[in-house]
Amino acid sequence: MSEPAETANQIDTKGVVVGLVGIYIAGISGIPYLAFLAGIGAIFATKMGADAVRRVCSYGIGTGVPSIGMLALGMGVIAAMFGLAIGKMYNAVFIGPIVGLVLALVIGFVVGSLTNKVIKLNIPVMERCLTEIAGAGVLVLTGFSVMVAGSMDFAVIVEKVITTGYIAPIFILGALGILHPFNANLGPDETQDRTLVHSYSCGAITMAIGGVCSIATIDPIAAILSIVIAAAIWYVNFMGFVRLVQRDAGAGYVGTGLLPPGAM
Amino acid sequence: MEPAMGMGLVALMGAAATVAGCSEDLESDIGSQSNPNSQVQLAAQVGYPHRIFNKAISGEPPSNAMYCAVGAGVAMMLLNSVSTSPLLAIAVGAFVAALLNGVFSTTAYMGRNASQTRFNQYVYLDVLRNHVLGIMGHAYVTTFCIVGLSYVMWNQNLIGHPFPFPVIAMIWGLAVGAIGSSTGDVHYGAEREFQDFKFGAGLNAADSGNITRYAEAGLRSSIDNAWFCSKFGGPVTGIAFGMTVFLDNWRSTAFQGWTAVVAGTIIVILIIIYNRYLELYARKNYGPYPEYSGDVEA
Repeated sequence: MSEPAETANQIDTKGVVVGLVGIYIAGISGIPYLAFLAGIGAIFATKMGADAVRRVCSYGIGTGVPSIGMLALGMGVIAAMFGLAIGKMYNAVFIGPIVGLVLALVIGFVVGSLTNKVIKLNIPVMERCLTEIAGAGVLVLTGFSVMVAGSMDFAVIVEKVITTGYIAPIFILGALGILHPFNANLGPDETQDRTLVHSYSCGAITMAIGGVCSIATIDPIAAILSIVIAAAIWYVNFMGFVRLVQRDAGAGYVGTGLLPPGAM
Repeated sequence: MEPAMGMGLVALMGAAATVAGCSEDLESDIGSQSNPNSQVQLAAQVGYPHRIFNKAISGEPPSNAMYCAVGAGVAMMLLNSVSTSPLLAIAVGAFVAALLNGVFSTTAYMGRNASQTRFNQYVYLDVLRNHVLGIMGHAYVTTFCIVGLSYVMWNQNLIGHPFPFPVIAMIWGLAVGAIGSSTGDVHYGAEREFQDFKFGAGLNAADSGNITRYAEAGLRSSIDNAWFCSKFGGPVTGIAFGMTVFLDNWRSTAFQGWTAVVAGTIIVILIIIYNRYLELYARKNYGPYPEYSGDVEA
């Protein structure tokens, strides 16, 4: 595992700030053409989750990488729906994402502490990483739900995202966005920039599918806008990922061939 | 609904599930996903670089849940927004899911192999090109069948399950992944990966990662693994998943309320007894398992 080019604090700050700003602009403005901003916020939150998975799983949690991604969205879905429901209950929808985020951070910290203190995994970064993963989970879920519903109102989200079942692809793709970047790059020569570029492309895939779902829930033009922006983000980052694979594989990036010298 | 119609739907769902189970297992075998993946991942690290596809998307349950949820989500959007025919909507949904499968497979193969450069593991672009389309094709079949049977379950004029369509598809996707992982992967992981070893010898810890890398002529490719697994592992997964879907829907269609619960319990008990009998039969006929003294030929 290489030295990180971007520190955890920088990634967390970007994830939380861009995530919340995107969700708030898309949710409060009520303009369907701005719904894609919630998706962009969720992409940064995906990156935050992917980096936390990278740090905690580099302690040798091999088969646990997918599990930890699912755990993130498991914690996230509870906190996100609780936060949005609280916003609805007190007639103040704008407190929803913040309440959800705070609850997720608390749940993540408690789960991290239980893992370290009770199950005694004794991984130094466990509490912090699980807190970040839970925060990423709630922002990913809230962001894509707001993007599909075009609103931050709990009733609208229930009607357009949960009752219709669009929550299912958002949930599972959101989880894969957090777990797949590190899982796909697992190995001793993993590099942070490659993993993080990949997290953008995974987040963009979720955004594109969210955009497809939003054709039926909000304006089709707004949905196409989301899909086109997501496709552009995906293309740029996917090509970036391939370039970094070429860089990291070096002479091992070959068109075809037999096994390397000495291995036959 | 008439009982004959209900039974017909249950039979249709069972048939779709059988095909889905089979193609799911073969899809994971071409990519060496899920539990056999640990040996493919380990091989280069213990000095055995290979030309086998390393499709580490996640465990099979989450990845198949993803394809099925995406397929059903896209189909649901088409049904709601442009009122297209269900069959076309499901086909388009499954196609989108297969595209995602291709993207995730590509990134997993490239990323995992690039992260093992120090062990001399190459990224072979021809392996990528040869395998990704086969993987996507199998994923399309799986997703089409699962989303189709979920549609039959969800449609209010057919079975009328209360859950939303994509959620039902996600749950069946998780189920098919779990059954493929536990049933079919044993055939690939235990027999194909370690075909050089004597049958029934077990895997010594020192042999971990020493997977079979050579075919009858040249280096083994993962397409050969699908050929091998299509003889037993794939079909047995299909039968297991088909039986799960068929028996579960049969008991709730044929019986109502608590009677259905009792029927389900009886089915489970019968299967447990049958499994136990099968295990004892195998031990008696293919055993006895020798004590570890080296005096009995395996």
